Amino acid sequence: MSTCAVQLDNLTKQYPHSAKRAVSSLTFEIQEGSVFGLLGPNGAGKSTTVMMLCGLMRPDAGSISVFGLDVLEKGADIRKRIGVAPQEIALFPTLTAYENLFYFGRMYGMRAADIRSQIKKYLHIFGLSEKRNKTVSTFSGGMKKRLNLIAAILHHPKLIILDEPTAGVDVQSRNMILDFLKSMKYEGSTIIYSSHVLEEAERICSHLGIIDEGKLLTTGTRTSIMSAHHECKNLEQIFLKLTGKNIRD
Amino acid sequence: MKILATVYKEFLLLVRDPGGMALIFIMPLALVIVMALVQDAPFRDYQEIKLEVLFIDEDQDSLSAKIMEAFQASPNVVLIQKQDTTEAKRLVQAGKFKAAIVLPKSASADLRRKTKQLITTVFSNFGFPAEIDSTQLPAINIKMFFDPAIKSNYKQALSGAVEKIAATVQTEWVLDELQQQLSEGKEEAPKKIAIDVSKIMRVDQRFASENKYQGLMLNSVQHNVPAWTMFAMFFILYPLAGNFIKEREEGSMLRLRLISGSQWPVISGKFGFYFLICLVQFLLMIAVGIFIMPLLGLTKLVLGSNPLGILITACSVAMAATGYGVLIAVYFRTAQQALSFGSVSVVILSAIGGVWVPIYVMPEILQTVSRFSPMSWGLESFNDLFLRQASIRAILPNVLRLIGFALVALAASVVIHKSRTVV
Repeated sequence: MSTCAVQLDNLTKQYPHSAKRAVSSLTFEIQEGSVFGLLGPNGAGKSTTVMMLCGLMRPDAGSISVFGLDVLEKGADIRKRIGVAPQEIALFPTLTAYENLFYFGRMYGMRAADIRSQIKKYLHIFGLSEKRNKTVSTFSGGMKKRLNLIAAILHHPKLIILDEPTAGVDVQSRNMILDFLKSMKYEGSTIIYSSHVLEEAERICSHLGIIDEGKLLTTGTRTSIMSAHHECKNLEQIFLKLTGKNIRD
Repeated sequence: MKILATVYKEFLLLVRDPGGMALIFIMPLALVIVMALVQDAPFRDYQEIKLEVLFIDEDQDSLSAKIMEAFQASPNVVLIQKQDTTEAKRLVQAGKFKAAIVLPKSASADLRRKTKQLITTVFSNFGFPAEIDSTQLPAINIKMFFDPAIKSNYKQALSGAVEKIAATVQTEWVLDELQQQLSEGKEEAPKKIAIDVSKIMRVDQRFASENKYQGLMLNSVQHNVPAWTMFAMFFILYPLAGNFIKEREEGSMLRLRLISGSQWPVISGKFGFYFLICLVQFLLMIAVGIFIMPLLGLTKLVLGSNPLGILITACSVAMAATGYGVLIAVYFRTAQQALSFGSVSVVILSAIGGVWVPIYVMPEILQTVSRFSPMSWGLESFNDLFLRQASIRAILPNVLRLIGFALVALAASVVIHKSRTVV
């Protein structure tokens, strides 16, 4: 029986000077070992939810627990168990790939030997071994995204949060990232995958949650959602059915 | 380990930033050298007055010889002889010379006559036989012309010097005349005693500090090296805040915020690294003062006799400078805001702190305001150590002020940083 990795209960957030709630009474669960696709159009509340999940933003109401720990009370403990790859490249451009990873490894509290072996392993997996001593500023967009992902998983987090991990990368890099995420799923990690690219979500996510205007529209396993909307051929059609076809800014 | 990792990371970021390296090391060195050279003349002006004064000697007698002899012994005045009073006046008017002294024709003879008249009158009054000269003699009029742009203290000093010479000569001649009158009519007059009135009373000028550094005064090097060193140390906020905000904008700071327990090591690692950089800056600037300044014709920086006191002061200034840099980095949201405010504030703090010109030449209101500038605390401490040979106890109040400033800045930084890292 799978246990609950993340639990959001009635989560609400409204930004100052904003007429609308960014997140409104959001309630859902994410099972341990699942790859959860958090989907929604622009301004749906995905990033706000992720920020609250990481403890970087305080909700106005409701609660979040990660592995049974309340984020507001045990934020520091929770952050030890999660790895986050933000949408932007959260790396030092003038440091080499190795120096970046070694520094973040140290900040995760890892031992030097462990950091070295992890760096060797992941640089090999992501095809960056030969670039280990090149500064990040010389990397292509795809290489930066791969390195950004390695920096998030270097310390074996139990929960990995990925915000648009394939945005702006070429097909080869995207394929490599998605294959790796699938392999992480088999290793038992829980992954929250926030993306616009529904085709990718369909390919790697076991569970999905579609939100819009801060509200949860649907959640469940990919199969259950597809069955519930059997008239739709694919996830994109379900997404458009639930969120509408209006352009979002 | 996390702090050391951050220190090493900051080191790598800095060595790969040539602009930052230049700003931290090259610019301050250039600045201190240029400022010491530029301010050398004004400092000499304040303390080493060397006035070229025209001397029109219409007298050509013993009084003029006495005046020239007295000024020759003075380190501050050089007499340049001229023949023509009108030309001398024109040169002073044109600002070529600061002053001119005109000793009128027959001044010596008139002074002798006046002295004799004075003594014979006194003798006659007391019943001694004396030939009284009852002619009404006018006062001997030594004229002085001044450049309107001369500083009033120079004018006073020069007038005082001339008056002092005249008074000394007058006293000597009165005593001579007295001996002359007393010996008149005696078959075997006693030999005249040469009386040097300058030996009767003298003003003994000394510096309060009594050790091998006695006599060392605030000069361009002694002022500019510690002053601009502190300026450079406070300017550490530029690379510090710049890197901090760049990390925030580029996203690496976000990752660090997401790593549990990384906030304290990040702040303290940055603080530690830039603190060390400040100390390296200090050592380099001091080395420039000792080894480079003399090569440029300036005086060598003298550090005094309290190396521990210097180390303590340097560390406390480095703490204050780095703490201020961290506060600016944390408080401002954009690099433009932080760097604009930061650099202008450092310039203001340095101006009121006595970096540009010594506090004692500032208006009274600024002297009061300067008490609130950390740079004035540091500068006062360095002056105490370098010039006054102060003990650690004497510099302690300023050191504590600097450390207090650093702790307040750091505490405020932590509060602000935490308030922005929500949970």
